[in-house]
Amino acid sequence: MGLQCFFGGTTIQTLRMAVIPASSSSRFIFGKPLSKTLTLNSLSRRCSSINYLKKPPFTLLIKAFSSTAEQTAPSTESVENRMVKPQWKAAIDFKWIRDNKDAVALNIKNRNSNANLELVLELYEKMLAVQKEVERLRGERNVVANKMKGKLEPLERQKLVKEGKNLKDGLITLEEDLLKLSDELQQEAQCIPNMTHPDVPIGEEDCSTMRKMVGSPHEFSFPVKDHLQLGKELDLFEFDAAAEVSGSKFYYLKNEAVMLEMALVNWTLSEVMKRGFTPLTTPELVRSSVVEKCGFQPRGENTQVYTVEGSDQCLIGTAEIPVGGIHMDSILAESMLPLKYVAFSHCFRTEAGAAGTATRGLYRVHQFSKVEMFILCQPEESESYHEELIKIEEDLFSSLGLHYKTIDMASGDLGAPAYRKFDVEAWMPGLGRYGEISSASNCTDYQSRRLGIRYRPSESSTNPKKGKGKLAPTKFVHTLNATACAIPRMIICLLENYQQKDGSVVIPVPLRPFIGGLERIAPKFPQDE
Amino acid sequence: MGLQCFFGGTTIQTLRMAVIPASSSSRFIFGKPLSKTLTLNSLSRRCSSINYLKKPPFTLLIKAFSSTAEQTAPSTESVENRSVVKPQWKAAIDFKWIRDNKDAVALNIKNRNSNANLELVLELYEKMLAVQKEVERLRGERNVVANKMKGKLEPLERQKLVKEGKNLKDGLITLEEDLLKLSDELQQEAQCIPNMTHPDVPIGEEDCSTMRKMVGSPHEFSFPVKDHLQLGKELDLFEFDAAAEVSGSKFYYLKNEAVMLEMALVNWTLSEVMKRGFTPLTTPELVRSSVVEKCGFQPRGENTQVYTVEGSDQCLIGTAEIPVGGIHMDSILAESMLPLKYVAFSHCFRTEAGAAGTATRGLYRVHQFSKVEMFILCQPEESESYHEELIKIEEDLFSSLGLHYKTIDMASGDLGAPAYRKFDVEAWMPGLGRYGEISSASNCTDYQSRRLGIRYRPSESSTNPKKGKGKLAPTKFVHTLNATACAIPRMIICLLENYQQKDGSVVIPVPLRPFIGGLERIAPKFPQDE
Repeated sequence: MGLQCFFGGTTIQTLRMAVIPASSSSRFIFGKPLSKTLTLNSLSRRCSSINYLKKPPFTLLIKAFSSTAEQTAPSTESVENRMVKPQWKAAIDFKWIRDNKDAVALNIKNRNSNANLELVLELYEKMLAVQKEVERLRGERNVVANKMKGKLEPLERQKLVKEGKNLKDGLITLEEDLLKLSDELQQEAQCIPNMTHPDVPIGEEDCSTMRKMVGSPHEFSFPVKDHLQLGKELDLFEFDAAAEVSGSKFYYLKNEAVMLEMALVNWTLSEVMKRGFTPLTTPELVRSSVVEKCGFQPRGENTQVYTVEGSDQCLIGTAEIPVGGIHMDSILAESMLPLKYVAFSHCFRTEAGAAGTATRGLYRVHQFSKVEMFILCQPEESESYHEELIKIEEDLFSSLGLHYKTIDMASGDLGAPAYRKFDVEAWMPGLGRYGEISSASNCTDYQSRRLGIRYRPSESSTNPKKGKGKLAPTKFVHTLNATACAIPRMIICLLENYQQKDGSVVIPVPLRPFIGGLERIAPKFPQDE
Repeated sequence: MGLQCFFGGTTIQTLRMAVIPASSSSRFIFGKPLSKTLTLNSLSRRCSSINYLKKPPFTLLIKAFSSTAEQTAPSTESVENRSVVKPQWKAAIDFKWIRDNKDAVALNIKNRNSNANLELVLELYEKMLAVQKEVERLRGERNVVANKMKGKLEPLERQKLVKEGKNLKDGLITLEEDLLKLSDELQQEAQCIPNMTHPDVPIGEEDCSTMRKMVGSPHEFSFPVKDHLQLGKELDLFEFDAAAEVSGSKFYYLKNEAVMLEMALVNWTLSEVMKRGFTPLTTPELVRSSVVEKCGFQPRGENTQVYTVEGSDQCLIGTAEIPVGGIHMDSILAESMLPLKYVAFSHCFRTEAGAAGTATRGLYRVHQFSKVEMFILCQPEESESYHEELIKIEEDLFSSLGLHYKTIDMASGDLGAPAYRKFDVEAWMPGLGRYGEISSASNCTDYQSRRLGIRYRPSESSTNPKKGKGKLAPTKFVHTLNATACAIPRMIICLLENYQQKDGSVVIPVPLRPFIGGLERIAPKFPQDE
């Protein structure tokens, strides 16, 4: 327990909280310790899947999160003793959470979240009460002020002055309380995960369902090698030197592996650009607040995020973060949507706590190249774009001749931002198992409510009843992200699946134009061994 | 003044110091405060040049650094009172050579505006030799006493010897502690001494740098030229404002054709350099700070160019020179493996602390960029000719792209500590209306290899047969050289500004077209954004 919901960023984001004044007296006290924040595992989010959804209409049950008010008894620990002031505020729809309390509570349970819904509701009700009281006192103060405008007996005036002063003192105290409550509410509510698509299987990882299987494991007429062995024989990697220079789980790519990375990046970018995506390269150092707003946790014991010393900047774990941030704090025209980006970046992950067999060779490394897709769209369209994204992944992996399956990830395995997530796992014959090679997530408005990305519906598409002003009210966009190619894992797949009896590795046909026509990685002259 | 020579790394490197025992009594005291370390500006090292050297034989006057002994009077501050920061690793510095070439080293320090304190280095060295000699003497006496005690002895005689032995042992412990401190302090001071300088390098400040070559002439435009920022805005190629919000100033997104142009430049450059026999690499971009130091960069301190990771000893690389330099760290290579020629692609990260002014617009000076870097490890005799090869490759690449540029032999005052000689290339950027540095080629001789511990063993045939001691020839330090093949953002500036057309489009140079899907021109988009 304790304060785990850490706010390390500095970018301040203005907020439109859906809060309504209510009444109460000052100086609230509570007993319950602050809830533990979910440790957002999203940077080690298992990745990728395929989507053949049958019920798009269900998508928009989500909104944000919510649950009805449940009055918990005030108790004895003072507010002041345990507040970390949030550096930015998410536009969380507290009213919706309160009004959908049961659904939110069930969702928190289904997703193994540590979010403390009861505390959120308690804080919300208290904040409403204080707001109401603040409004009341302001009203009274105005009454007093108005009375003092006229001619008054000195005694009467003195009484009013005193009354006004009391009201003012009370207001100052109450307003301080309100600020504290609002901060604490924000902090707690940020821990609540996104709602979950109704078709997502409920339960732990083993409840995840397979949506599709393509191909079958390649049969080899010779003993297969894993990518480490192949890389050693073909002189493609340097792990030992990297361990000395940088640390374990770092590596150099060498010779054809370098060209293979370039070819994969170029081929993937060109394939995804054909489908109407705008290419980007991104900053790889970003403010920690942006990392948080995307739903990742840049601090804390098991963080996956490298932080720069003496600054509020972090290394990105995925291009999802800088691409998510590119329209931060802005209102887009409806006509600009959807915005489809395909971004190339290097990614950096501490992989704290990662251990075991899955960590050999290139499978789990601290730094890697990745091509990532990202879409910003209207809420009504996010489910179909989720399908589009997983379809693109599937097309790419099929073009490369991989045997893979796509998985609808179970609720217990979703990171806080994801409404639904499809992973793709490809067969890696050398490792003798399926390994995750990509992930496609629909984050609905979880990220946009934190990043402040809205759009303004065009006049035609809005309800003409709301004649108030000329502009339609803004809405939050939906965001989706999906791996187009995580290079090291793709290199594992290609080396292990395309190995030949003579020790060479065949380059898949689609990549050849991007690697100078090279058809095969052949063993070098035996100078090194 | 004060302790500026910072040692932040953790990798320990064993060292063969060229030290010889000498004599002195314990507890040395000195007066002079510790010298200031040069603030190694190498990450903001100005870059690039072309080499048409006429006198290759001069190269090997260098060795490491040195200067003859100059006895400075012991004075009053005790060793313990000076905060010696224990070095985390040790460079194989040839102190004897420094002492024997004192005047040349002193002049070199002056010519390079270095703050290295040669006198202190020599003083520490002499003192260390003296303590070593004394240690040897006491060890000898202790052995004599120990031997005496092996025979039969009168009890009184034995008691006397026991006492004598104990005194010697106590003295030795004290002296050995002093020796360790002296050795650390010497190491720390001597690491601040810059590499020697090629005799042809112009002596003086940056304005003394000499032009070695000029290729082409500024393109004439029949219309008002735009700078790359304006072109990028009109062609929708960059996002600076969003990057400032997400990351900070001097960050950027590349967008649309700029992304493909980066990929094309990387691929074309790699393929051109690979044709010339270089082995391609991608590298770790986080490295231990000790490796950064060993390459001659300063990962800590006020004006460091280096981003450090919180709670770790890792830094972000400012250039692939660092991880490539480290790839053969602490190893002995076979002569037959040399030269090793690498061409490495990496992202580079620089704080650009203290960088300000007009040169910082747009893509010119940024915190993160892609770069293709060449790196060579070779025998000492060959480093000068490889330096020529590297600048020739740069020249060929920039000429292929049709740039107007000049190559400059950088003056002594403008060299970073590791460089023995450095050639910069400055290309014409019509939008910015000036020449801008686009590459740098440095010969670091054995400065980096003495820190990184990269030696080679000469083959039998090439060594002097007189030294018949053992079968193997003694190892030598390799020479290292590094040179920019393509620093992407500055190349994008050159291409956009030089190839802009009257209609607002930008033509792609012919050699890059096969690497950018045959694209011939970046045309303005439909006017949806403006």
